[in-house]
Amino acid sequence: MSPADRRVSPTRYGVPLLVAVVGLAAGWGLSVGLPDYYVFLGTSVIVAAISLLGLGVVTGSAGMMALCQLSFAVIGAWVTSELNLVKAPGNGILWMVAGAIAAGIVGLLVGLPALRLRGVNLAVVTLGFAAAVGLAVNQYQFPGTAIGVQVFRPQPFFTDRSFFLLSVIVMVIAAVIVYALQVSRVGSGWRAVAFSERGTASAGASVRTTKLSAFAVSAALGGLSGGLVTLQVGFASASTFAPLQSLALYVLAIVNGSYLVDMAVFGGILWVAVPEILKRLGIPQDWSLVVFGVLGVQALTSRTNLGEIVRAAARRRSEVVVLEPAALDDEVPDPTPDAPVLIVQGLGVRFGNVAALDGVDLTLRAGEIIGLIGPNGAGKSTMIDALSGFLPGHTGTITLDGRDLARVSPARRARLGLRRTFQQDRVPPSLTVEAYVRFVARRRVPRPELIDLLSFLGCPAPGTRLAAVDVGTRRLVEVAAQLASRPRVLLLDEPAAGLSHEEHLALGERLARIPIRYGASVILIEHDLDLVRGVCRRILVLDFGKVLADGDRDAVLSDKAVLAAYMGETELL
Amino acid sequence: MIQGALAGLASGGLYATIAVCLTVMSRLARVVNFAQVAVGMFGAFSSVWLAGPGVPMWLATVIGILVGATLSGIVGLVIATWLAEADVAVRSGVTVAALLVLIALSFILFGTKPLPFTPIFRGAAFTVGTVVISQITVVLVIVAVAVAVAARLVLTRTLLGLRLRALSERPITAELLGIRSRPLSVGVWIVSGIVTTFVVEIVAPSQSNDAVALSMTVVPAAAAALLGAFRRLDLAVVGGLVLGMLDGALAQLQGLALLRYFLPFLVIVGLLLWLQRGEVWDVAR
Amino acid sequence: MKIKAAAVATATTGLLILAGCSATGGSGSGGGSGGDTSPIVVGSVNALSGPATFPEASQAAKAVFDQVNKDGGIDGRKIQYQILDDKADPATAAAAAREIVESDNAVALVGSASLIDCQVNGQYYQQAGILSIQGTGVDQDCFQNPNISAVNVGPYGDTTMTLTYGSQVLGLKKICALVEITGNTGPAYKAAIAAWSQSTGKHLVLEDDTVPYGASDYTPYIVKAKEAGCDAVYSNAVEPDGIGQLKAAAAQGWNDVTFLYLTSVYSEQFATAAAQVGKGVYVPAEFAPYTNANSAKNADWLKLMTADKIPLTSFAQGGYLAATYFVQVLKSIKGDITRDSVTKALHDMTPISNPMVGTPWTFGTADTHNSNRAGWPIKLLSGTGKWQLAAVDWFKLNN
Repeated sequence: MSPADRRVSPTRYGVPLLVAVVGLAAGWGLSVGLPDYYVFLGTSVIVAAISLLGLGVVTGSAGMMALCQLSFAVIGAWVTSELNLVKAPGNGILWMVAGAIAAGIVGLLVGLPALRLRGVNLAVVTLGFAAAVGLAVNQYQFPGTAIGVQVFRPQPFFTDRSFFLLSVIVMVIAAVIVYALQVSRVGSGWRAVAFSERGTASAGASVRTTKLSAFAVSAALGGLSGGLVTLQVGFASASTFAPLQSLALYVLAIVNGSYLVDMAVFGGILWVAVPEILKRLGIPQDWSLVVFGVLGVQALTSRTNLGEIVRAAARRRSEVVVLEPAALDDEVPDPTPDAPVLIVQGLGVRFGNVAALDGVDLTLRAGEIIGLIGPNGAGKSTMIDALSGFLPGHTGTITLDGRDLARVSPARRARLGLRRTFQQDRVPPSLTVEAYVRFVARRRVPRPELIDLLSFLGCPAPGTRLAAVDVGTRRLVEVAAQLASRPRVLLLDEPAAGLSHEEHLALGERLARIPIRYGASVILIEHDLDLVRGVCRRILVLDFGKVLADGDRDAVLSDKAVLAAYMGETELL
Repeated sequence: MIQGALAGLASGGLYATIAVCLTVMSRLARVVNFAQVAVGMFGAFSSVWLAGPGVPMWLATVIGILVGATLSGIVGLVIATWLAEADVAVRSGVTVAALLVLIALSFILFGTKPLPFTPIFRGAAFTVGTVVISQITVVLVIVAVAVAVAARLVLTRTLLGLRLRALSERPITAELLGIRSRPLSVGVWIVSGIVTTFVVEIVAPSQSNDAVALSMTVVPAAAAALLGAFRRLDLAVVGGLVLGMLDGALAQLQGLALLRYFLPFLVIVGLLLWLQRGEVWDVAR
Repeated sequence: MKIKAAAVATATTGLLILAGCSATGGSGSGGGSGGDTSPIVVGSVNALSGPATFPEASQAAKAVFDQVNKDGGIDGRKIQYQILDDKADPATAAAAAREIVESDNAVALVGSASLIDCQVNGQYYQQAGILSIQGTGVDQDCFQNPNISAVNVGPYGDTTMTLTYGSQVLGLKKICALVEITGNTGPAYKAAIAAWSQSTGKHLVLEDDTVPYGASDYTPYIVKAKEAGCDAVYSNAVEPDGIGQLKAAAAQGWNDVTFLYLTSVYSEQFATAAAQVGKGVYVPAEFAPYTNANSAKNADWLKLMTADKIPLTSFAQGGYLAATYFVQVLKSIKGDITRDSVTKALHDMTPISNPMVGTPWTFGTADTHNSNRAGWPIKLLSGTGKWQLAAVDWFKLNN
């Protein structure tokens, strides 16, 4: 393994494991050193932190407003109490885990309606769920509470101090798992779906699965915290999981940005510390909810949170390092187009009474680059949308490598090798270049290959945060990422927008080499006719949704009808 | 069962009115106002608290309505000032925080013991079978319909309504056209606060004075508003009344308590799935 | 991330340790050993925030202790009273208990009024060897724990009493029960109702134990009771819920119903807030009623409450009594006042009589404690807005 490859491992696993060990050691130290009262409070901190970690996944990472986190804790507490009541095999730890799994399953069920619901609609659903669970649990007691059966802590962790240590262990394990998910493609998917569902689908990741995984993980963590608090106190009680507390927890998660693990812990500390401080000052405890609410409003109006502030302050203000594009030494080869890869017949798209596309035929052969041009509103982006599956109501057939794509979802088409980029910016700024490329490529791209690809297109270094990159360069990263997935067909929707003229031409030279270097056939939408002329041997012209011309570059560009359509809209002459 | 349904009509009237307010707020202020009822609750509790030291009933009620309107206006001001360009979710997040603060403040300021509400309307209006339809029920249903009709008239027939609709759909364009967005937005919030507090003042004397339970009636009200997809006022009224009656009917059946609690949630889920059945991709995203 | 996480952990640890040190340093050091002026630390766990609060019990107990301190304390030592809030949350209640027992090193708990303290902390108190004199015991464990003795009758005994009074004295024939169940109170209420059935031979027409706690509208349940043809409604509702039921009945025009409630609604606020109450609300007050002329029994209590502006409720009576009993036992201790000596004194005590209570109170060494077994019937009639006496003497439970 070359040094470059070896460098990946420590960053991925070494640091988190080290932090985990430090956390465990700190927890052991606290369990021994703290006074009794604070050990008990510390356990409450951990319980809240685990809940917040879950909220961080669903709200912070995946951007879904979930107001029912403690309802999942109810599930965990319920299962733990029930298993204790029927004296199921195992002990509290096992039951707690079972509760987490059960809560995860319920989370999947609650998440199913989430697939179609966005933002506020989901908040209404989850609040309805929280209210319903709150009323139900007020009515029906937790198993065993009616007859006074207590849930005892498992034997080696019976005292307050040892139980605190157990909860630290549980927290560390949960945090490591969540961290591993966050840096993997799953976590990148969460952040992508928070930013743009279309972008996520175009990366071959099913939006449904991504959202459901976020819900399930957050619910499982909620269930875990419910089981843990049941063991801590000895029985579960409805007031702990009141809908009001779910709201307070949500607000706190917003305030400190609990998708970051250390912020989840800090949030847990706040959850316990604010009432404690109020108590010591002799202020009634109800004020703690007021404090949380006000902090929440502050965080929402400033569009940032504590975690981001801390991170931004600690981050070294570094410049974006763009990789030097390697010199291109080879001549652009004349393509000898091969067998057809993409066959489109009679493609039609209607929006109400307007026919955006009408009877479009197109055959893309292997190794070919087709330029797709036409005046504004001609239907170019609509065609890309239809080809990539974002307009399922189209007429006509699309065939990829002989396979009919009717009723195939966009994510599945992307996985089959039909990739596209977007005209609008759909690259999630919360990811790094490397994480994004890995996510879109759906594989671990070896570092040499990654560097090669990024430098080919003039993209920033792998570790760069996309938020620090300008829009034009982000679009280049998008192209690079889609290339990394080794697609059969690549549809590029104005990739050069936002670049200067020289950069246009430089990009053009790169695009021309894509079929040879990466084996993909390309359809390129561009307004810059210089670029089109330099890159594409074949050009398709659309006008008012119909194919105006389709053929060899020079012939098409001198066609009178084409020039007439462009009258007044030519970018150059 | 039928008697239970009729008994639930009072709650239905409350849900319907709040649903109309939620729909109007959603259309005009681009927000799902989770704190809608909490504001009214706070105003109503304030007027009771004022009536204690001997302030006359009518004055206390008016001041309570002003308190509710002011609180609603403050929330609206915060949102209009800092979150004018934000999306619905973030704006609604602020109302979630406001809900939290209002409930906590009500515990602090008004305590948790029952408050001596003097009812504005009391007693029975007429009898259907063995169930008495109280005056409050009748008033609430009338108010719900009246508010819906008034809102529709204002929105569709007046210049103010036109401006408000322009403001809600294209805030920046409206600003450029000279429509002053912030005062109009805050005005919408204030009016909704007035209506809500008025309704809560009517209904609170007949119910137990639990701040949380009262504020959480925003959940079934939201379910009713969803029937009209947060756009249609008539369906919001119908939804509220039907939901109230269903709730009352189910309460009669002891074994179905669980279903009763989950009724708003199931209604919400069902309606949302139905409304968005054709939608695959959000246009903007 | 490593550095930041470690920094956060270290800072937080430091903060907590500092806070812990200051807390343990501040309160009474050690077990309060011999012949010194260190305060006698006493604690209580109460529901002070959230939707249902009982602040008056600990306020009343504090008033008693303040008076004792003003009069010179016990053997020159002042009583330091820690009032803690459990927010109706078990974890907070458990934390509060630990603070009182371990951080503050209290000698006993006096005057607690909480929905969950006994259930959550009962075993912990047994392990710690500390006794609790509940100002108002609510959950069942307050009456079934060797380390806890409540000064009030409790909702279960009260239930039997109010049903017995309703059926035997008021002659009510058809009683409907609307019961609100939380925690582990279900079986206890059932047992209380069964005890009434057994001793009177009568039965309920309707028993609904699905009545929700803290709902905003009780109309469906009232309608159900009315449909069943009842002439009386028994409920264990707390004040806000009781008002809700009364209002629902008034809205339905149900004017010939009698309400049999528990001491939890005996407060002036309740009387003012309840306008139309059918044929009346009847309550067997756990302590001597303080409204009207019977104030002779409550003279000292009234004086103390009005001086400190504490609301007049049965919780305040309970807290006052708990503190008064405790002080009396303290004064009987010869030698050092420590947790052990207090526990011993409470175990060995002779029952204390007080005109505010119908039966004498004791702690003793029994496994369960239910000293208060009498109630004084009071009533609230429509339009009066005030509680009145309904009997001239205590109404006692037979067994």
